Amino acid sequence: FFIKVSEDLPSLQDCSDFVNDPSCGAISTFVGTTRDNFQGKRVTKLSYEGYVPMAEKELKKLCDEACEKYKVHKIAAVHILGDCFVGNASVILACSSPHRRDALHCVEFLIDTLKARVP
Amino acid sequence: MTVTIQVLFFASAREAAGDVSSTSMELAEEEATTDGLRKKLAQLYPGLASMVEDEDNLTLALNEEYVTSGEVLPLKNGDTVALIPPISGG
Repeated sequence: FFIKVSEDLPSLQDCSDFVNDPSCGAISTFVGTTRDNFQGKRVTKLSYEGYVPMAEKELKKLCDEACEKYKVHKIAAVHILGDCFVGNASVILACSSPHRRDALHCVEFLIDTLKARVP
Repeated sequence: MTVTIQVLFFASAREAAGDVSSTSMELAEEEATTDGLRKKLAQLYPGLASMVEDEDNLTLALNEEYVTSGEVLPLKNGDTVALIPPISGG
């Protein structure tokens, strides 16, 4: 697993390269970006703070759970800290699996669960 | 007998407590539970009171593990409790 919570967010390419595996035919990725509106108001940036040691621990648990639910080989889960301006990525999730169905569903599981659980 | 723990305040919990991000706290033996801590925090930080007494509004993490709703755990010397408001990652 490639897990990182930091002001220096790895790139989508970094995440994709990490999960790339010869035994896998599919890489699925999700990128969350800062939207320019929230509840009718204009947004210029979001500022993220996290309980970093616990966030990374929860991300690892998430990856372990994902591997139990889906046939995925590698997972990258990274989240930004600090300011994230409109259009920029705040979270990137990537996973690889032999066949496409597992990778697609796994990424959905990862983002849904991350939003609920990772402090 | 008292128990000394570390309390970490995140995001709106930190703001409600008057910008305190962490503090060391001493609890009497009978207060040394996650529930006792909530009550003590409400006394010490009035701005935090309504938030901290509501389990849905403020989740606790004991030594980097979530305390589930309804669970009451004992606290011992050296424990770290984090006050975590509703999260919104991504």
